[in-house]
Amino acid sequence: MERAVEINKLIKRYEGEPVLKGLDLDIPKGTIFGLIGPNGAGKSTLIGVLTGLLSFEEGDIKIHGMELNTKNELKIKRLTASVLQPPLLFEQFSSLEFIEYICEIYEVEKEGLIEKAYSLMDYFDIKDFAKIKVNKLSSGSRKKLAFVTAVLLEPKLLLLDEPFESVDVISIERMKNVIRRLKNKGVTIIVTSHILEVVENLCDDIAILHNGKIKAYLDSISRKELQKDSSLHEIFEKFVEVEKKDQIVEWL
Amino acid sequence: MFYRLLSLNWRIFISNLNRFQLLLTIGYILFLGIMLVNLIGTAIVVVLMDSDPWMQVQLPWLTPDIYSFILLVFGNAYWVMHFSFTNMRLLNIEENRKLLGFGFPLDRLAKYLTLIGFCHPVNIIYNFTWLVFLLIQVDYAFQIPVAIAAVALNYVIIYSIKHRFIRVVEKRFIAVVIGFFILIFGLFQMISLFASNSSRIFAEFFPQVEKVNAFLSWLPGGMLIQTVTIYYGWMNAAIIFFFSVLLVGLTVIDHFNKTKQGLLNPGLKKAEEESSTLWKVLRKVMGRNAGKYYFYVMKHPYNRLQVLTLTIIPIVYVPLLMNVEFELARTILIPTILAGIPVALLAMGMANMYGYENREFLLHLQFPINLEKQLKERFLGVIILPLLVFYLITVFELLMIPEIGSPLQIFIANTFFFLMFMLLFVWSSYFQYQKATYSSFSYKHPIIPQKVTFAISFLIFSMGYLVFVPLNGLEWYRLTIMSTVIVIMAIYLWQHMDVLVNLFKNRVLMRLWNEL
Repeated sequence: MERAVEINKLIKRYEGEPVLKGLDLDIPKGTIFGLIGPNGAGKSTLIGVLTGLLSFEEGDIKIHGMELNTKNELKIKRLTASVLQPPLLFEQFSSLEFIEYICEIYEVEKEGLIEKAYSLMDYFDIKDFAKIKVNKLSSGSRKKLAFVTAVLLEPKLLLLDEPFESVDVISIERMKNVIRRLKNKGVTIIVTSHILEVVENLCDDIAILHNGKIKAYLDSISRKELQKDSSLHEIFEKFVEVEKKDQIVEWL
Repeated sequence: MFYRLLSLNWRIFISNLNRFQLLLTIGYILFLGIMLVNLIGTAIVVVLMDSDPWMQVQLPWLTPDIYSFILLVFGNAYWVMHFSFTNMRLLNIEENRKLLGFGFPLDRLAKYLTLIGFCHPVNIIYNFTWLVFLLIQVDYAFQIPVAIAAVALNYVIIYSIKHRFIRVVEKRFIAVVIGFFILIFGLFQMISLFASNSSRIFAEFFPQVEKVNAFLSWLPGGMLIQTVTIYYGWMNAAIIFFFSVLLVGLTVIDHFNKTKQGLLNPGLKKAEEESSTLWKVLRKVMGRNAGKYYFYVMKHPYNRLQVLTLTIIPIVYVPLLMNVEFELARTILIPTILAGIPVALLAMGMANMYGYENREFLLHLQFPINLEKQLKERFLGVIILPLLVFYLITVFELLMIPEIGSPLQIFIANTFFFLMFMLLFVWSSYFQYQKATYSSFSYKHPIIPQKVTFAISFLIFSMGYLVFVPLNGLEWYRLTIMSTVIVIMAIYLWQHMDVLVNLFKNRVLMRLWNEL
């Protein structure tokens, strides 16, 4: 199977302290891939490295067969779009100006772009904010705007760092619908989230990241096997070796 | 609890200071001490000047009317100062409102914050001076409570007006700034008119002083003085006292409600549609990258004020200095003031290049465009406007003040001046990065770090002396040194633009990534 992302022995340090500790991960093309892990596991750092925002010290990364280095950096960036947590937006622009600006930078076909933008904004109930300054949007609307913009860039690889946080339930369902449609068009989507139920019914493959390493990789076959006896929540707890601490608060 | 809240606010204030700012704070406290002594000293001298027999011999024109006039002018001028310097920035609503999340009662928090808000040291000094100034003039016991109530009323009214004034200024920014400058110009005109006709004005004025006093005594400062200079009896004193206290109470309640509202509605944003022609123009003129950056620079209210000030200052000062007969003043001050204009424009755009966008600049890093190219475009975009102004100034100097030097001298001196500041600002952008606050009324400098602001003010004049003071026979040495530095720096910068990228990656990137 062709790989969208191949990560080999990746090490990333913050001020000498390793956050990703020799991480290995392969993500097949055209899948929805879920990355779960407790706070501080290194999920956002991994997304930061894949988007090219953070450098890494050791190991290698291939995206769509291209080594992530200075030579290929721009080609890879053209293939990739992302929604970070918190989303990165140009605060002084209106929502539509922001979309237009980013699409222009990514050289997205201009014909029909505004119509597509309006229809997606309509779908996520932010059409009325098209001419409102970004810094006046609520956190949910900001997330939706970042998502809409990322979709309009027609990426081959879409990186979503906690895309459902502060988004209402109806919009979460719509986001999931768009993500599935993108998958059907051959796009690879990497999603990090703390909402295990969403990851469970949205993603094809799931990896559990803990202490800067992949503790478990659950593809569709192994998931079926494992989930016969236990839920994703129980599997997650097992792999991140959750310490039972309920007795600490027994005084409550 | 009040004490704890006070210490919490104090700790928030102290923890936000670096060592340099702490030093500044100590200097500020010393300044406040000196200010208090000076203000009280001046008030005492003004009040007691007519009782000294020496004064009556030395100043025979000091009639009771003229004395009242001096007293009233002092009182009203002092009121204007009080109004101007009343400080309202003691409250950190954003930090304090977090207490609400921990269940702190809203009413009690608003009550404490209202009290803390009134207690800025500068405000206390002004009110204390008022008390000293008025109480040493007291003739009757009933004037004491009235004077105290009047000082309190005066303060809450000033506070209230300023509170609303700041909101008006933020809403009607351009109109207020233009109004302010018209006022300044008017004042200049009045002073020049007075200076040229002073003897005639005085001759006509002295017989009229009684009328002027009657007018001055109904201005705010005059009314405060009246509380201790007029006999109004116990009954009237009680009525005035009662109504003053009532008004103080109502104004404080109003503030309490406003604080409560502020705590519940932090930065209530109105989502209105906005059309940005400025962005469209800059996008066309400077391109999508430099244009976007300049759009952010020009959206900042402080920068808009700066541009307006930079236009006004030379219009006012250069003609004045052109008429000065002392030639050295013309040859040093005019070029220094003029060379300061492009420097100030450069500071706006270059002294904190990532401070306007902060974390959102990370989005630029994701663009499929080389970072070096993006930074180069910004860098060139930022220097275009100051360079244009710089050339216009050079041409102006060549035409209007030819005595300051030959064209070559002026050109080299100005270029050197510009280049040195450009280096200072590049350093500042990478080593003194700070989030630019979107308010022109910030306690700290909203755009440029304080360290850099101090360095600029100091350097602008020391560089001015270094670069523009005529050296006669040694002039060629200076020109050679300056030209060599200019050539070396220009070649180095042009060939090593990647230095900006490396500096960004090493000094700024991680701070942006971790900033929330």
